[in-house]
Amino acid sequence: MPHSIFRRLVSLGSDGDGDANDANEVRTDGGTATATGEGTTRSDQSDRSLLDSEFVRSLPFWLPPALLMGLFVYGAIGWNAVISLTEWSGFGSPDYGDLDFSMYEQMLGDPTFVVAARNTVVLLVVFTVLSLAVGLLLAILVDRDIRYENTLRTIYLLPMSLSFVVTAIFWAWMYNPEIGLINVVLRGVGLDFLANDWISDPSTKLGAVIFALMWQFSGYCMVVYLAGLRAIPNDQFEAARIDGASTLRMYRRVIIPQLRASTMSAAVVLMVFALKAFDFLFVLFGDTPGPSTDILATMMFREAFSSSNWAYGAAIATVLFLLALVVIGPYLYVQYQRGDL
Amino acid sequence: MNDEHNDSGLSRRTYLRLSGLASVGMAGLAGCSGGGDGEGTTESGGEETTDAGGEETSGESTEQSGGSRNALELVHWWTAGGEQDALNALLEGFREEYPDVEITNNPAPGGAGSALDTVVKNRVLNQNPPSTFQIWPGKALTQYVEGNVLNDIGDSVWSQEMRDAYRQGVQDLAQPAGNYVAVPLNIHRLNNLFYNTSVVESAGVDPSSISDPGALLEAMKTVDSETDAVPMAHQVQAPWSSVQLWETIFLGYNGADAYQSAIVEGNVADHEDAVRQSLQTLKDYHEYFNDDAGSVSWDQANSKVVNGNAAFIHQGDWAAGQYKAASGFEYESDWNMVPFPGTESMYSVVTDSFVFPKNNPSPEATRKFLSYCGTVDAQERFNPVKGSIPPRTDVPTDPFGPFLQSQIEDFKNSETQPPTIAHGTAVTPDVHGNVDEAFASFNEQWNVDSAYQALANAFPN
Repeated sequence: MPHSIFRRLVSLGSDGDGDANDANEVRTDGGTATATGEGTTRSDQSDRSLLDSEFVRSLPFWLPPALLMGLFVYGAIGWNAVISLTEWSGFGSPDYGDLDFSMYEQMLGDPTFVVAARNTVVLLVVFTVLSLAVGLLLAILVDRDIRYENTLRTIYLLPMSLSFVVTAIFWAWMYNPEIGLINVVLRGVGLDFLANDWISDPSTKLGAVIFALMWQFSGYCMVVYLAGLRAIPNDQFEAARIDGASTLRMYRRVIIPQLRASTMSAAVVLMVFALKAFDFLFVLFGDTPGPSTDILATMMFREAFSSSNWAYGAAIATVLFLLALVVIGPYLYVQYQRGDL
Repeated sequence: MNDEHNDSGLSRRTYLRLSGLASVGMAGLAGCSGGGDGEGTTESGGEETTDAGGEETSGESTEQSGGSRNALELVHWWTAGGEQDALNALLEGFREEYPDVEITNNPAPGGAGSALDTVVKNRVLNQNPPSTFQIWPGKALTQYVEGNVLNDIGDSVWSQEMRDAYRQGVQDLAQPAGNYVAVPLNIHRLNNLFYNTSVVESAGVDPSSISDPGALLEAMKTVDSETDAVPMAHQVQAPWSSVQLWETIFLGYNGADAYQSAIVEGNVADHEDAVRQSLQTLKDYHEYFNDDAGSVSWDQANSKVVNGNAAFIHQGDWAAGQYKAASGFEYESDWNMVPFPGTESMYSVVTDSFVFPKNNPSPEATRKFLSYCGTVDAQERFNPVKGSIPPRTDVPTDPFGPFLQSQIEDFKNSETQPPTIAHGTAVTPDVHGNVDEAFASFNEQWNVDSAYQALANAFPN
């Protein structure tokens, strides 16, 4: 209904314009009947095809945001890519006349970059898989009509609302080898041999960071999965029960396969976060976390803002952006094929 | 209705494609125009630079702008308790001296300038610098000097009277390219070995008799066997503490000339044995660090000395601020300090300075402020509160406590004032970053060979 009203308004407007044109033409050239007729039909047609097209009428709705996004997001990304092709460092201005891929070549020969890229991928994969698994487990448990469901849900989700600065400092205390809760508990239950210097032993450093991030993000996965579980009709649970499926089998065969969409969307959010898990590391270790935990995001900051190698930093940023595209690309493609986009 | 839709309407996917095209186009445009802008501002920046560069023209522009843009915007990282009090004392003195100058205090908190660096670099690149900002002098200024973004203040600020009062080592730091661009305001000493008197006494160790970094290792062994305390408090969460300990060990073994050649001039390979020896010593020390060195910050490590849980700590003399704040922990009776073994004749200088960026929003106020920072009055107000000593040698020592008075005495008697890597004065930020990476790795693996290689590769030549 609003659509047709809009359409009528537009056609009214164009009629009005047509009339005005008529009047003008009549006045200027003295006005023969044919000229007037021709003018009217021409302007009518062009008005109609231009103003009636959905494209023009939708312009006000998508053009301003597209322009703003284009300038401030995609423009900035494009500019960053251009800077990565220069040799810019220090306080000079970039020389755009001499663009080449030397920064990317330097990157491939830089052991720090290789280590950081490896850590980034490890963090991405392990953190995402763990968070999804824990989130799914929590969601299934919370979904089983337990008491205090809302309270528990809030408790699990709460870490997500904390700032990474807070959780980083909090986990630095948890991991303290002398007074940290983790080692104290391990010693308390007689597992002294497991007690470790978690965030300075290079073999556990990255694992400790991943665990802390998982603690923070599994609550988010739980909420996403919970929504997915609630969308599955109760009939299917009952049908599976009647067919004699065990609980484990029911979830494995009937329920979890239907959670693919939830998994997809949660995984994309987690992976993109993992790519830029900068603040957590920066608070714990500063801009130089050491080879066992250095990720591309911290390396990018270090090169750009500590050493003023702007072009090199921009090149690392471009690589990060491409990685993010690799993560998001398949998701968008699947959504597009399903017609959700 | 349906027919019309097919005739004139575009499908939703076409929209997507079109808007995609539009945004790609915009991206291209933005890239181009951004580039154009960059060049444009550089040109105009160049013109402004020449204007502000000459002393007389900058005077003119001040007169033109009049009192309206007179506010002095001050960017610094002194936001922690004692530091903030020190800055306020300085600003109070400045207001008394120049009541007409309005001050915009714009701190960028973050230890050792981690946040300030980002803020200032962005603003300088955008030709919109603050009136003055805090920065380590020496080679930390290299990029600023090479980028030609700082005014020469040799004539306007560095009067003959000031030059006579500053020690040579500090004046060198103020002129990284041969002309004065910075005014050092305070000096912290880096080559200190602080200790908890009662712990050291119960171990039967006399710190003043330790002759070199190797002998310190023996002393730590004694502490380890004789007491329950940790021999040396340290932090390896971030690399800088290990960097400064290593460079001090290097100084202790090899002296200031070798340090100058190996580090300031970057010939690490010529001093391979010396570099390896000091790395090995640091590795040996690490056996005697607190177990939680990887999970604590330097002040948490330092509090172990206060609590009597650790015997020694190597830190800059900002660590003494914590001892002063601790109740019932008195200089000489509870804690004391000796120069790091082997560095008795040296005063490793960690200093903060203020500079005069070009395109200055308030040239006259900035000149006044920098001149004020170089005066006895400013340094007498600021340093006792900050816990540092004045770079001028003629500041009355009465307001300083007994510890700082003895530091001032050491400074006056010091033969050399070597710069430091960890606090930016000895190496360019690029090299500093590489050295930090080398020690972040050394803190994890304690591998002398790979750390030596990383250090040898850290320098450009």
